Amino acid sequence: MSAPRQSLIGAALPRKEDDRLLRGDGLFTDDVQLAHQLEMAVGRCPFPRAAIGAIDVAQARALADVRHILTGADVRAASEPLTVLRPVPGAPLLPYYALAGEEAIHEGQPVVSVVAASRAIAEDALELIDIDYEPLPHVTDTLGALADDAPVLHRETLPSNLLTSNVDRAGEPEARLAEAPVVVEGRFHVNRVSALPMEARGIVAHWRAGARTLEVHASTQTPHLIRQQLAECLPLDEGCIRVIASDVGGGFGMKLGLYPEDVLAVLHAMALRRPVKWIEDRLEFFRASTQAREAVHEVRIGAEADGRIVAITNQYTTDLGAWNSTYGSAQLSSVVFTGPYKVADAAVERRVALTNKTPIGAYRGYGQPEVNFALEVLIDRLARRLDVDPLELRRTNMLRPEDLPWTTPSRAVYDNGDYLKTLQMAADAVDYDAHRAVGRECHDDGRLTGIGFASFVERTGYASARFLAGRGSRFGAHESVVLRANRSGGIDLYTGVSTFGQGSETAFAQVCAEVFGIDYEAITIHAGDSGASPLNTGAFASRTLIAAAGAIREAADALRDKTLRIAAMVLQSTPDALEVHGRAVRVADEPGRTVSLADIFTRAIIGQGISEDEAPGLEAAAHFEPSHASFSFGTAAAVVSVDLESGEFDVERFVMAHDCGVVVNPPLVEGQVRGGLVQGLGAALAEELRYDASTGQLVSGSMLDYFAPTIMDVPPIDLLHTEIPSSITPFGVRGVGEVGTIPPAAAITNAVCDALADYGVEISTLPLTPERVWQALSAARNAREPR
Amino acid sequence: MKSADFAYHRPGDIAEAVRHLQDYDGGARVLAGGQSLMPMMNMRLWRPDAVVDINGLTDLAELTAEGDETRIGALVRYSTLEFSPLVAERLPLLKAMVAFVGDRQVRNRGTIGGSLVQGDPTGEMPLGCLVLGATVSVLGPSGAHTIAMEDLYEGAYTATLAPDEVLTEVRVPPHPPHFAFRECCRRHNDFCVLSVAATGRMADDGRWRGLRIGLGGVNDTPVLAEASMALLEGSRLDDADIAAAGGAALRAIDPPDDIRGSAEYRAHLVPIYVARVLRDLRASAQAAAR
Repeated sequence: MSAPRQSLIGAALPRKEDDRLLRGDGLFTDDVQLAHQLEMAVGRCPFPRAAIGAIDVAQARALADVRHILTGADVRAASEPLTVLRPVPGAPLLPYYALAGEEAIHEGQPVVSVVAASRAIAEDALELIDIDYEPLPHVTDTLGALADDAPVLHRETLPSNLLTSNVDRAGEPEARLAEAPVVVEGRFHVNRVSALPMEARGIVAHWRAGARTLEVHASTQTPHLIRQQLAECLPLDEGCIRVIASDVGGGFGMKLGLYPEDVLAVLHAMALRRPVKWIEDRLEFFRASTQAREAVHEVRIGAEADGRIVAITNQYTTDLGAWNSTYGSAQLSSVVFTGPYKVADAAVERRVALTNKTPIGAYRGYGQPEVNFALEVLIDRLARRLDVDPLELRRTNMLRPEDLPWTTPSRAVYDNGDYLKTLQMAADAVDYDAHRAVGRECHDDGRLTGIGFASFVERTGYASARFLAGRGSRFGAHESVVLRANRSGGIDLYTGVSTFGQGSETAFAQVCAEVFGIDYEAITIHAGDSGASPLNTGAFASRTLIAAAGAIREAADALRDKTLRIAAMVLQSTPDALEVHGRAVRVADEPGRTVSLADIFTRAIIGQGISEDEAPGLEAAAHFEPSHASFSFGTAAAVVSVDLESGEFDVERFVMAHDCGVVVNPPLVEGQVRGGLVQGLGAALAEELRYDASTGQLVSGSMLDYFAPTIMDVPPIDLLHTEIPSSITPFGVRGVGEVGTIPPAAAITNAVCDALADYGVEISTLPLTPERVWQALSAARNAREPR
Repeated sequence: MKSADFAYHRPGDIAEAVRHLQDYDGGARVLAGGQSLMPMMNMRLWRPDAVVDINGLTDLAELTAEGDETRIGALVRYSTLEFSPLVAERLPLLKAMVAFVGDRQVRNRGTIGGSLVQGDPTGEMPLGCLVLGATVSVLGPSGAHTIAMEDLYEGAYTATLAPDEVLTEVRVPPHPPHFAFRECCRRHNDFCVLSVAATGRMADDGRWRGLRIGLGGVNDTPVLAEASMALLEGSRLDDADIAAAGGAALRAIDPPDDIRGSAEYRAHLVPIYVARVLRDLRASAQAAAR
């Protein structure tokens, strides 16, 4: 008997995607060049809010090689408002068209679009279009937008800029706070940032009127959902539309669903009957692609003198920008607002504010980094108030393995895990006890050392389609796959999950190879083409593998069963005596008795040489919906040194101890966590989409002024994993896509405040810059030495 | 982000370049490394009628030692300065500073002449050349002349060259034995919040002579901290000297208030960074003495 093959789950196999990407053979949207293709440029409102009067396009139309111009009136005549896939629960929809009509309500909102022989000519034409703008009163501050005298953005729908508010609660947190011996509170400002994919958005739209076929190449995470939204918006039968997302240069949640420019490119292409390309340039990107995070959290924690937390309340205001984008308004702050802690009495109120800024959309973390910053920084303040060790305070309050599964005050259900273990691992990894023994003043040059922790849970996946339906979301919780045998003895795997760097092609092939028994190399992935793949949901919410693994397992089992039945006939054996090995089927007890998969697959595909009971064809489709969301968890620890004079600080070490259940491919997981950490570090320390309050203009809207970190700015990062299988998912996997973005801000803020504990420095605003540390130090000194 | 229309000229010699500049009567721009010009044109913030590409003028790309003086052609790229043994030996301050310019791609393409004409107040090359007491050679319709670095700028991004003049060469006098440079950035090699460069010579008596301190990012142009320099002439650079010089440097600044840092914070950092650089300078001399 042959030795059983080593499991592929957990194997560090090379990425399916790397060869083509490293050789420059990826196919991104701008690589698509169709015959007779034209290019589109979009004219955008330069004001945060303006009434739009006459638009004179005569001069632009007269320019050579300008082919087509659309204004707001044209778009209204030819299309419906963009639809929303994930509405803000309990809020009215705020419908908008691809181009502004009588009023534009954020800087960068599309107002006109031009198609010409080249992008340069289209931009020339935009300069010749005369638009009569009348600037109107605007508001860009999140809390300011809710003031009584703030100009209201959507007067026809809403009496104020408060889109909605909703509360989740359990127990009697207000009563517990009133009687608690210690209460700490804080107001935390989380910065507006960008997901900043390397490839901005883009689309090539091609309408062949006679064929009634609209072929769209788009840089998107959700080709099937784009297809749905285009059908709704144009309107057009879904059957006419094919959306292809080949390689996508990063998504991070920002490339979910339809954008105005997608509709514009299609409208132009349909009018011209020629392919139209639009590639978002970086300046447009900063104003046109959804932004993220911005929120103000007001948190109170009540505790007993021994550190036991008795209540948490969080009232937060999240800034939606000008309206609901397809996935607008991060929704997970409310889900995880009590973090990994055992608190029964707690309440969270979410208020959604409208401002004259670019709409907010999904971004890796989706509310979890924001609330983690507020909660974890306040936990450290509580520790300082109580004069207990912050590690000990977390230990006291953290959910223990035996407390799980745990239903949170906002009715999320945490599955199994060991939160304390990752906390201890992170502490050990930074030599916490040794540091405490030495003290903060361990640098020759007078810099002070501090250590900060941030513990977290991360919701991964969705708790069923029923849950989504309850929130008004117009997509499912499932993933799907089609497996098709081919005559070379390999398996073609068709998925609607597009490839944007997450490694799904690799992970899917691994799961398929594991279940079927075939070589990993024999699996070919066909991803992101709505014309070829089964209808699915898409890659977001750290849910892909959780859902897809179930579908792949089911389809691969079905394909394998039929393969073994046919092979049993050929080998004159029985299916249960056979095994798939490499690219062949063999009798398990007699490895010499073998038949190639190419032979079996060919028989099945052409229907020759198979039993009369057996139908021809070798193909299986499966859909799988997970029963619950799963929660990843962990603790990050940062060691910083702070210069008292300048406020400058170095992150000397950053440790992340993390559990995402069973790891399918360790380098993929490491890449996901590190990539997320870098985005989290960037948002924590430097990145900021800042709007000037008086002009309403974005003042950091280019790569010159938006301080995304380079590789040279990333501190040393150590990753540690526990691998506790989730009790509720296929293979015990948990999602891992977003986790890195969650703890960096709190961990580093806590470390800086720890270093400066003797000075009473408290920090509540991101990004945490040296200037901000200096200001906080100055403020703390002034508070102590009243003049 | 596509440039407006422009004419393109690639002259065969420097005189032809000047003629093109003259023909467009101020409407043409010189293209050297293009690291500032091309983004500005693509954003349509600049719309020159013509671009005069001097990249074919290879005699502007020479780097030579002429007696005590080092001559750097306007087309010498940052990466050439970075790796040139001549620069390492004769202009170590410039070598140290050029590593802070942009990224590898920028350094492979950008030129010293382009940087000096661009006149970014945070630029490393303008500051380094100022502190080293360099002069630039300029060619125009009426012939050649030189401009001292102190006189090259009348404001931010405003070199005193006429629109039909080309900067051809940088001449750097002998480099003092000790130098130091520090820069404060929001991220690696970003446009700086502020930068400080210093050079000097410690005489046998242990006293410093001819000490020069330049500041970047804290005024419309790179500036010399003249009050600090005067204070330190003949000093031993002890801690009290350094503290006094740090404070005196504030007299040279009129810092901007922008997304990289407030004017107040820049002013706070100036004495700190000047002191750090002076301590570096002192350490350099102490190390040499051992």
